[in-house]
Amino acid sequence: MTAYAELQTTSNFSFLRGGSHPEELVERAAELKLAAIGITDRNTLAGVVRAHVAARHAGIRVLVGARLDLADGPSLLCYPRDRAAYGRLCRLLTLGQRRAAKGSCLLRLRDILDHAGGQILIAIPPAALPDRNFAAAVTRLRHETTGPLHIAASMPYQGNDRARLNQLGNFAVRTGLPIVATNDVHYHVPGRRPLQDVLTAIREHVTVPEAGYLLAANAERHLKAADEMTRLFRGHEEAVQNSVEIAGQCTFSLDELAYDYPDEPVPDGMTAQQYLEQLTWKGAAWRFPGGVPDKVRQNLGRELSLIGELDYARYFLTVHDIVRYARERGILCQGRGSAANSAVCYCLAITSVNPAEIDLLFERFVSAARKEPPDIDIDFEHERREEVIQYLYQRYGRDRAALAATVITYRARSAVREVGKAMGLSEDTTAALAGTAWGSHGDGFPERRIREAGLDPDDPLLRLTIALANQLIGFPRHLSQHVGGFVLTRSPLNEIVPIGNAAMPERTFVEWDKDDLHALGLMKVDVLALGMLTCLRKAFDLLRACKGIDRDLATVPSEDPDVYDMLCRADSIGVFQIESRAQMNMLARLKPRSFYDLVIEIAIVRPGPIQGDMVHPYLRRREGLEEVIYPEPDEQHGDRNELRNVLEKTLGVPLFQEQAMQIAITAARFSADEANALRHSMATFRKRGTLPLLKDKMVGGMIARGYDPELANRCFSQIEGFGEYGFPESHSASFALLAYASSWLKCHHPEIFACALLNSQPMGFYAPAQIVRDAREHGVEIRPADINMSLWDNSLEPCDGRHLALRLGLRQIDGASESDLAPVIDARGRGYRNLEEMRRRSGIPVRTIERLANADAFGSMGLDRRQALWQARALDNAAPLPLFDAVDYCESDGEPEVALPAMPLSEHVVSDYRTLRLSLRAHPVSFLRERLTGLKALSAREIRQAKDGTGAITAGIVLARQRPASASGVVFMTLEDETGIVNAIIWPGVMEKFRKTVLGSRLVLIEGRIQRADTIVHLIAGRLKDLTSWLDLLSGEDATAGPETPRHTTTHRHPRNLRVIPKSRDFR
Amino acid sequence: MRLADARALLPGLVTRPADPEADLRALRQLVLWCIRFTPWSAADGDSGILLDITGCAHLHGGEEAMIDAIASRLSAFGIEARPGLADTPGAAWAVARFADGNSRIAAPGCARTALAPLPVEALRITPGTSAALRRLGLTTIGALAGIPRAALSRRFTSAEIGESVLLRLDQAFGDRDEPISPLTPPPVFLEALKFSEPLLEPGGLEMAADRMAAALATRLRAAQRGARALSLWFFRVDGTTARCDIATSQATCNASHFLRLFAERLGTVDPGFGVEAAALHATCVEPLEDRQPDLLERSRAGGDLGLLVDRLATRLGADAVFRLEPVDSHIPERAQRAVAAGLTASRQDAPPTLAPRPFRLLAPPEEVRAGAETPDGPPLFFTWRRTFHRIARAAGPERISPEWWIRDGSGDVRDYYRVEDTEGHRYWLYRAGLYGSDSNRSPRWFLHGFYG
Repeated sequence: MTAYAELQTTSNFSFLRGGSHPEELVERAAELKLAAIGITDRNTLAGVVRAHVAARHAGIRVLVGARLDLADGPSLLCYPRDRAAYGRLCRLLTLGQRRAAKGSCLLRLRDILDHAGGQILIAIPPAALPDRNFAAAVTRLRHETTGPLHIAASMPYQGNDRARLNQLGNFAVRTGLPIVATNDVHYHVPGRRPLQDVLTAIREHVTVPEAGYLLAANAERHLKAADEMTRLFRGHEEAVQNSVEIAGQCTFSLDELAYDYPDEPVPDGMTAQQYLEQLTWKGAAWRFPGGVPDKVRQNLGRELSLIGELDYARYFLTVHDIVRYARERGILCQGRGSAANSAVCYCLAITSVNPAEIDLLFERFVSAARKEPPDIDIDFEHERREEVIQYLYQRYGRDRAALAATVITYRARSAVREVGKAMGLSEDTTAALAGTAWGSHGDGFPERRIREAGLDPDDPLLRLTIALANQLIGFPRHLSQHVGGFVLTRSPLNEIVPIGNAAMPERTFVEWDKDDLHALGLMKVDVLALGMLTCLRKAFDLLRACKGIDRDLATVPSEDPDVYDMLCRADSIGVFQIESRAQMNMLARLKPRSFYDLVIEIAIVRPGPIQGDMVHPYLRRREGLEEVIYPEPDEQHGDRNELRNVLEKTLGVPLFQEQAMQIAITAARFSADEANALRHSMATFRKRGTLPLLKDKMVGGMIARGYDPELANRCFSQIEGFGEYGFPESHSASFALLAYASSWLKCHHPEIFACALLNSQPMGFYAPAQIVRDAREHGVEIRPADINMSLWDNSLEPCDGRHLALRLGLRQIDGASESDLAPVIDARGRGYRNLEEMRRRSGIPVRTIERLANADAFGSMGLDRRQALWQARALDNAAPLPLFDAVDYCESDGEPEVALPAMPLSEHVVSDYRTLRLSLRAHPVSFLRERLTGLKALSAREIRQAKDGTGAITAGIVLARQRPASASGVVFMTLEDETGIVNAIIWPGVMEKFRKTVLGSRLVLIEGRIQRADTIVHLIAGRLKDLTSWLDLLSGEDATAGPETPRHTTTHRHPRNLRVIPKSRDFR
Repeated sequence: MRLADARALLPGLVTRPADPEADLRALRQLVLWCIRFTPWSAADGDSGILLDITGCAHLHGGEEAMIDAIASRLSAFGIEARPGLADTPGAAWAVARFADGNSRIAAPGCARTALAPLPVEALRITPGTSAALRRLGLTTIGALAGIPRAALSRRFTSAEIGESVLLRLDQAFGDRDEPISPLTPPPVFLEALKFSEPLLEPGGLEMAADRMAAALATRLRAAQRGARALSLWFFRVDGTTARCDIATSQATCNASHFLRLFAERLGTVDPGFGVEAAALHATCVEPLEDRQPDLLERSRAGGDLGLLVDRLATRLGADAVFRLEPVDSHIPERAQRAVAAGLTASRQDAPPTLAPRPFRLLAPPEEVRAGAETPDGPPLFFTWRRTFHRIARAAGPERISPEWWIRDGSGDVRDYYRVEDTEGHRYWLYRAGLYGSDSNRSPRWFLHGFYG
């Protein structure tokens, strides 16, 4: 029996070279019963963690290594023998990557010699032998390093393999260096040759038929078993034997890197655990000035002892340290994640979800069995997150803090685009094919869609392209910096993982992504940006400044019935997370009355519960229409109530990710490890084939224990739905707090909320026009942006005593920039009397003044936009002369009065939309009302009052179009007119017929049927008509003039005239 | 709108790539055609033609008739035209594009009234300028004309002509001159001869060709042009014609070159009852590459290779003269192809380190009977065309997999061996298929080439 270890493998982390995932290589190597497999990607360790994790399950040893491609020498395979050597390899790769551009690496032989201690090096000879440079480099390596040095030999079926092997053998004898057998593996099975050829073509920017000799002649570079390798190397059996010996000498495992947490925050003379306990109890006293409730005290004790047991104290202290910094600087933040909603985190001010008020969760915030580091993400105000990032760098230094990587992978669209190009398809065909990829993640290319795109799905070339594109989906394309995932360590980071340059100057990130870091148990903290936190901080500031009320996230009055009344009316525009159309519908049905209802509200409108068909059962039970029962196993299988604890809070229906996991453990008897694999595969199984296995195990396990098969299947569908957006209760609770706080502000201080929301744009679901409209409907007076009144930001002005009016800021003006307009505000003094004075004193360019005039910001001078524009155009663009500064000189004084036609109201509205994206004057549709009534169209208000099942026609501006992945092709369209909003539902059949109108119109008329459920009214579309051209009537001519006459060709009109109304927001 | 968006709206949309250069060329052709109406024709922008018909209208039956004639003749070409007529280019531009059908002719001296109801866009101003005017409520040319000149000039003066409203207004109303510069047609390289006595002898035809070729070559040289294709016409007294076409591999204005090529064909021309006229037309003309003549040019063979290729191609047909060019393909029979034997430099880069290829390939490879060790041992003997060869030496295998992207895929994986038989002859053999890959079919052996 022979043994063999493959030591030269190129995975797909050598981008556009390797044709297999590291996991596939490892699993195949295990099937072939190889002694070990080394992963040697080109100048990178990016794929080794995945291989390492796969090896745990596959039962094979993975050797961590890299192929070092040198600028001045032969390529070398490098295998560190121990932790110290591994550190040197990381340093070496960091050195090479840091001095090259993003994504490349520059190494020289000299660098290798400097870092060679403890490494096993294998030199890869060039294709043509003998080669003098190779011999020289090998000789130099042999003289200047002490470690083992080998020569790689492979049998690529090139016609001269034997001769070459003998040459290498002779060379080895001459130099005294052993040869080692490798197969230069580029894919795990020969069937991947086509894909690997395509990758080569993509890399070299040629088509596959043109690629010629760039491609390998055959499919031999796959993993081969020991017997086959021995046969190929007969006469040189020692080469095969050497591979196993090398594998034996490498004792390093990535597991040696675990739990290398920083200990910065711990003061001298204390252990981390002592310090954490001290901080926690101090925090508890601060959080509960009236005494810590017993329940919380017990929780704290239990959590602290678990933290002590698992030695996670430094993790919590590090997170606390970051949060403490942010709070000191007045940056609003909140933690979320599995560990965040613990009592400890509440006392450490990491979150504001009060554990005394909501019965927190499943006590599983950190599980002893899971042997995984805790996971806390922290959201910060999006405008100030950078300060926190700078603090991290300053506190831990660039050598111990770095951003994690994000592996950018091929999605359906990008895959088919690249493969199509490589296969020589025309650009048009490729584009059409890419268009058939469904949804933002694009799981495939449905045949029906391909036919729709005018292509023939039976065409062999097209089939081949699609098959290859499907293989390419999920392949890594390149590494990018993660938005805010930091890895923090105690020992220098560049001895743990190589660090490379990011695209942004002065930014660096490590080669591993969050999953990799997590798998190795390294500390990662997500420092994320959240627009709502910015909005809330601004709102709290305004509240303090304008009304003298001091609140923060934790001190917003809880469980306020007025707030819930408002939410039950689905009055939630602008509120965090629950403002979308789908969430509003849910609000009206779920009728939240407590904080926990909000937690459920946020989690329920997600792909998981929807795909698992859990939403309707939950709602029925909540309304008392269905009995609350708990799924039970057969009596002989133990406690019939085993799921009651898990599901009690959600009326027996699993809604959260934790519940789905707990069902797998309790009902399907998954081990903690298996459940972990399940959770992990949720995010990744799309690209890996573990799904059917886990499904059999979970569904089978539940049925075997007497559960209803239908329920078992639904539970699994739900887990599938969690796929990309797993939504745990802990996240939901953190989000619910922000939702509650924003609802409270909206309910009691609508002017402050609207002001803060506008000042935090862009964020959220709605555009400024809808926010302003909503505020007005809540009785807030809105005042126009004005050159003499407005600040850059929106602001609040006193009006009739105690109320506040919202003054629009200059930031609402399209295309305005703060630096352009700052001089206007700075030099304003007691106000400008006319344009010349403003121009002279502020010194801003005429172009900017014209922009302000277009935005109608000169009302306080008594000028409407047309008059202001006329005057602005007369201003001299040259810098004002100092001579005239002193006197009140007015250049246009001598000019005869010119009577310009008055601007009709409708045109003002259109101009308002064009320059401010909103109008305080009127709604554009109001000018078309008479014409619409002529078409028997009802207003949004009339639609809201219409009876269920009646036919109705309405028309409005298209605010948004949505095609949720979970709604199987249904399109939701939101229309707006002067009386409100209408939600229309377009079923796929209607969509196909009116596709052009649905996707293309800005003003649309819909004829359909009313569907009413409680207060929720939908219009089910039957027929649509594009009325976009009517909007042209508003600008220029009187809107009530007769039907449009084809006066002159539209080709000569300015395109802006056609874009009166800002483009709708389209979501998929 | 992006193409993909348009496609989403209308999946069956027919699209063609835009080719602005070709459009412009076509427009210029159209301008040249318009010279039939007036010599003062010019292209206007990328989609208009400007004709100064001063003094020409009566030739076409008056202005209205002329406009109709232009429109109907263009529409016969499949070109939809909107003609307009006025005192000035600016006013004509406006009425052509913005006036409705009945008022496309602005009567003399009436530009002001004719333009008054038209939108300001009709003034040939930039979209930004017209948008600014619209925002001021000045939507028609009439409204604009009512504004005091001083006020207008203060607000709309610019170095950019499209932003200078007053200038455009003056041009349209004829208060300011705007000349047009007409396009001149390119020369036609054609020589013709008429004979007082019909020619009956082939020698006469040759002499005629000789004279015309010399004259054409002189004209071509003067214009720095060379011919790539020529047609020689003979017009017989009975009204029939004879025609010879030749082509050259590169542009040339060498009369003797033309004649040598025609000489291959002239013999076949039958003068019939006599030829009364002849013409030589350079149907494809290209700029002449100005090459410095080498002092030793005459002694170099390369100079005449082009001529030789042209003569052979003229005699044997263009397909019969070719040379082989390497192609990047691992499949040996696809690794070269025939290309037209021009003078273009052939590819120099050699394929990468491939095992040595034989000098001659069999096309197609011939099946042989052979014996070898499994799975990939070299053949020990083979029988080809009933001759038995025992193999003394062998090297290989070189494994070449089929080109999977080609539909027929050229079948099996091949293992090539270089072998030498006991008599010292060297062969290139391959085994199609691998042992054990397909249990129903055992691999077959082929002879593909010979070394030396």
